[in-house]
Amino acid sequence: MSKVEHKSESGSEESTGECAAGDTKDDKGLGLGVIFFILAFVICFLSGTLLFPKLLYSKKEQPFNFDHKLHVEQTSDCESCHALREDGSFNGIPKLAKCMECHSETPLGETKDEAVFAEMYVAKEKEVPWYVYSRQPDCVFFSHAAHTKTKGMDCVTCHGPIGTSTTLKPYEENRITGYSRDIWGQNIWGIKKHSWDRMKMDDCAECHKKETGHQGYCFQCHK
Amino acid sequence: MNKNDKKAHKFGMVIDLDKCTGCGSCMVSCMSENNVPFKEDESNKKDSITWMRVYKLTNGKSFPETEIVYLPRPCQHCGGKGDHGHSPCVSVCPATATDYGYDTGIVSQIYTRCFGCRYCMGACPYHARYFNWWDPKWPEGMEKYLSPDVSPRMRGVVEKCSFCYHRYQAAKDKAYYDGREDIEENEYQTACTTACPAGAIVFGDLYNPAHRVHEIVKPDPHPASINSTVVGKSRNPNVFRLLERLGTNPKVYYLSEREWVRKAGDNYLAGEWDKIKNHHGSESHG
Amino acid sequence: MKVDRRSFLGLGLGAVAGISVSPVILKLTDDSSIWTQNWPWTPVPVDGEVSYVSSVCSLCPGSCGISVRKIDDRPVKVEGLDEYPINDGGACLHGISILQYLYDPARIKTPLKKKGDKFEEISWDDAVSMVAKKLSDIRSAKTPEKLACIIDKDQGSVSGLFKRLMKSFGSTNLYTMPSFESYLELTAAALHGKGTTIGFDLENSDFVLSFGAGVIEGWGSPVSCFKANASRKERGAKLYQIEPRLSNTAANADKWVPIKPGTEADLALGMAAVILKKNLFDAAAAAKFKGGFNKLAATLQNDYSLSKTSEITGIKETDIEETATLFAKAKMPVAVFGKGRGDGSQSLKELIAVHSLNCLVGSINRKGGAFIQPVKNYLEFPEESMDDAAKEGIAKPKFGQYVHDLFEKVNVSSQPAVEALFVYQSNPCYALHDTKTIKQAFGKIPFVVSFSSFMDETAGEADIILPVHTFIERLEDIPSGAGLAKMVVGLSKPVVKPLFNTKHPGDILLLIAKALGGSIGKNFEWASYDKCLETVAGSIWKSLSKSGHAILAKGVPEAPPEVDMTFLAGNPASVQSNGDGDLMLIPIDNMRLPSSAPAAAPFSIKTVSDEVLKGKDTVVEINPKTAGSLKNYDYVTLTTPVGTAKVMINLNDGMMPGVIGMVKGLGHTFDNKYVSNKGVNINDLIGPVIEPGSGVDAAFGIKVKISRA
Repeated sequence: MSKVEHKSESGSEESTGECAAGDTKDDKGLGLGVIFFILAFVICFLSGTLLFPKLLYSKKEQPFNFDHKLHVEQTSDCESCHALREDGSFNGIPKLAKCMECHSETPLGETKDEAVFAEMYVAKEKEVPWYVYSRQPDCVFFSHAAHTKTKGMDCVTCHGPIGTSTTLKPYEENRITGYSRDIWGQNIWGIKKHSWDRMKMDDCAECHKKETGHQGYCFQCHK
Repeated sequence: MNKNDKKAHKFGMVIDLDKCTGCGSCMVSCMSENNVPFKEDESNKKDSITWMRVYKLTNGKSFPETEIVYLPRPCQHCGGKGDHGHSPCVSVCPATATDYGYDTGIVSQIYTRCFGCRYCMGACPYHARYFNWWDPKWPEGMEKYLSPDVSPRMRGVVEKCSFCYHRYQAAKDKAYYDGREDIEENEYQTACTTACPAGAIVFGDLYNPAHRVHEIVKPDPHPASINSTVVGKSRNPNVFRLLERLGTNPKVYYLSEREWVRKAGDNYLAGEWDKIKNHHGSESHG
Repeated sequence: MKVDRRSFLGLGLGAVAGISVSPVILKLTDDSSIWTQNWPWTPVPVDGEVSYVSSVCSLCPGSCGISVRKIDDRPVKVEGLDEYPINDGGACLHGISILQYLYDPARIKTPLKKKGDKFEEISWDDAVSMVAKKLSDIRSAKTPEKLACIIDKDQGSVSGLFKRLMKSFGSTNLYTMPSFESYLELTAAALHGKGTTIGFDLENSDFVLSFGAGVIEGWGSPVSCFKANASRKERGAKLYQIEPRLSNTAANADKWVPIKPGTEADLALGMAAVILKKNLFDAAAAAKFKGGFNKLAATLQNDYSLSKTSEITGIKETDIEETATLFAKAKMPVAVFGKGRGDGSQSLKELIAVHSLNCLVGSINRKGGAFIQPVKNYLEFPEESMDDAAKEGIAKPKFGQYVHDLFEKVNVSSQPAVEALFVYQSNPCYALHDTKTIKQAFGKIPFVVSFSSFMDETAGEADIILPVHTFIERLEDIPSGAGLAKMVVGLSKPVVKPLFNTKHPGDILLLIAKALGGSIGKNFEWASYDKCLETVAGSIWKSLSKSGHAILAKGVPEAPPEVDMTFLAGNPASVQSNGDGDLMLIPIDNMRLPSSAPAAAPFSIKTVSDEVLKGKDTVVEINPKTAGSLKNYDYVTLTTPVGTAKVMINLNDGMMPGVIGMVKGLGHTFDNKYVSNKGVNINDLIGPVIEPGSGVDAAFGIKVKISRA
């Protein structure tokens, strides 16, 4: 409980303002009940907004850091690693073999992360168990080919500017659903500023409605 | 996207009952393709999940005049009265767990959305829908053969044939990759069609006159003269649909040269069959 | 300040209001609804790259090409291989179920040794040395003939290695399970000379006269037959089906001719009589007849007049005459034989009589007819080096020609006639008639070694089980059999890495031979089975490894061979059934149920009708007239001289009155809840009937008594 209170004290300016108003105890119109009401309201509201997300999601570190920026500089695009296969399916996170296509000629460097990669995975021929921020439930079918190839959409539209990042953020797993925080979005209200902030069904439908005039039939995106 | 969209398809099937041998390949191919589970005892056919089921029909005569025919029954993907997309099951689903794809004519079933009320099963005149009374269970290790293209179901939901929609998706993906607008006839074929050793099942687009299914069925695009809720009646005298008079407008057609088999596609009062057996859709329309 | 009730009320309301306007409720509603869709025990199949591996199925002698769809390393679906010379796309339900065999709960995962009633796991080294020790002891005792071996088929390199081991060891007691191929060779040998076989050109024939052959029920190479049958209408070809029951083939045929069970040979001879009498035979073909054809013709005219044939077979005289005439007058007629799937017990007289019709009308080595060709031995094994013990051993006579002779010998001998028995991919304790006596014989053999992928009735009787890879885990040449008009050798490839501690049967034999040493070891000096195959496949290896198959023969063979009528001219007696019941029990081959090894996959069992299997009970077919007051799904007891069984009945108008039909392939007893303990094994009820003149087990059924249970 103390933690909760601590949290609320270090809350927003708005909350301190409301607390100050409650302190005028001589005001007959505002009894203790009102003060308690406001206090509880503020604490609960702030807990729900600030603490709740921290409890809801567990943070998991990726097996090692991956520098997207560095790789994009070398390859100049996303498709060198995340590509459509010839049958039109999408390869997702590249397999070890894909990494080694380049790294057999351009040896791995000497950072701590590269050492982990070389020792734990390359040497043991084990695939890296990456956490995938955009992993969707099993019932979802998504065609990358339809979006990127046919409609010419940019990866950034859905995935955001990952290509310019130098570090991998921790993977935040929803303790209830098991899916990444990035599906609902970082904003706990689910408010999005960019097209890539959320990846819920409604976001798919919204764009589909805008672009095709229809949100689509179930089987378009479900299997 | 609506039913008048030029790009829209109407996928359908015609099954030649004179070729069907009742071998069961279609059933197993379907189960294997669509991650259909199995139980220790599957002899109670009411709770045995088979998206594609082969029924045995007999002419009811005694030895040696008896005849048998086998009738494979996938989901009929009904277009509903007037073929407007109000399939019996779709109309009753309170959860929108099943809908009619106007772009394909395929009736979907979304397992995660279904909450198992089974109204759709009551509404379906073809017993094409199955309820998962138990969780699917595979013997240890066998779950490794499950296909990622179809999500496994859970206890408490209804499932049914999807015309292997994932194969349509895969064919479209390939077409997108090749920069093509649409898919070829042979690129999208259901698992039962490709498995049938007798070649009894023909699958394709009922809107596309170049497709074999259209050539065989010759669907009449106009409402039938004797029942305006029936659309797409075959102009081939040997082709019929199950319970056609209900106006459910199935996309699965059956073909047989034997009259008793065609008559077995519906229940007729005395004398009724003789009156309607020669209505085969209007000849005037192309 | 005073904290009163109102303060607490304020506190509570404030908390509720605070939570309500916070995102908690919205988010938890969403998350919990997703949570309700997550069933952690429902598997989520892993996605990956799709690839296809082509191979050949060896579940049955049909040898269809298959295409296995894989997701990364996981095979997920099996389909027929397009453009493969045998099936050209299309697959049967068993082939599609192959992955269920791969992950079968009854798979044997490591070598096992019998201890008491149970098996215990042992290492490969121990298992091989135990087998080698036993074999060495048999050799030291100078009784190499006391090693016997049962294999599933005669052709192919693995069978070749078993034969090589037996020969090098010095034993002639190698037997193959009865198969359609063996009957084809026996028939061809009797009429056209040893070393030949018969293929049927069904896809070109315009009149197929089938004597009970389940053309669309697993007979021959199933998919190829389905295709030939499906194209019948377009080709204007006819199929006439002669059998006591309205099988699927009979139902699909242009005409079904019901016949009294076991009188097919007489009908064929009666038809031959009609053809001779009406001068409808092919004169050029008849010129090739020898071995007492005139004597046979005289017998036919005397003993097989229309009225007599009609009386024996129960078929109307007009039907016999009309069918024989249509057959003889067709352009490319062919008569096919082998009741049901063709691999059950058959009467050689019947097969020869039916094939004689082909000979009479000149349908031998003619398009749409029967093709007589030499059995192609496409493997080139180097000559065995034989030590003295081996030379002495192979000079000793074999116990008999057929596998039932082996068990007969074991059962009648007071001393062990067989010290050690190898059983490879066969299930004699289930598939042979009168399983009780077969199991009794197994009990009398001190050392039984099973080479099997799955636990089954026979493996359960073994002292040592050496588990072999399933065929999609191994390389092997798969020669086509099954009465196909063309001869194709396919290459079965390892589609997936072996799942368990199993070995290739060829490699096991190499290990055993190496452990035995001496000239035996010398005969098996290949580094591995794969290397051995590459060497012995010689001239066809290139084609095998490149295109996955090699075609040994196709098209119409040249000039028809001579026809030796000696067998029929001797006027052999027809086989009679045992027992004194008033009804006849006959086996039914059902496409959805394999009757030999391996047992059905769960998917196949699932497709079986509830008119065949209901819960744990076999349902037998009976004509309503025969059933009397019995109703559908009533329990009855069937009693034959061999055994009794409690079954349910299905009133079936397609069954000839007086006959009861029981499906083959049920009643397995090994540990697999999806497949076993369902129904009755018909071989528990039917005993062998040895045909005079041929020595084959020709039981077509058995007399049965029926009583309400």
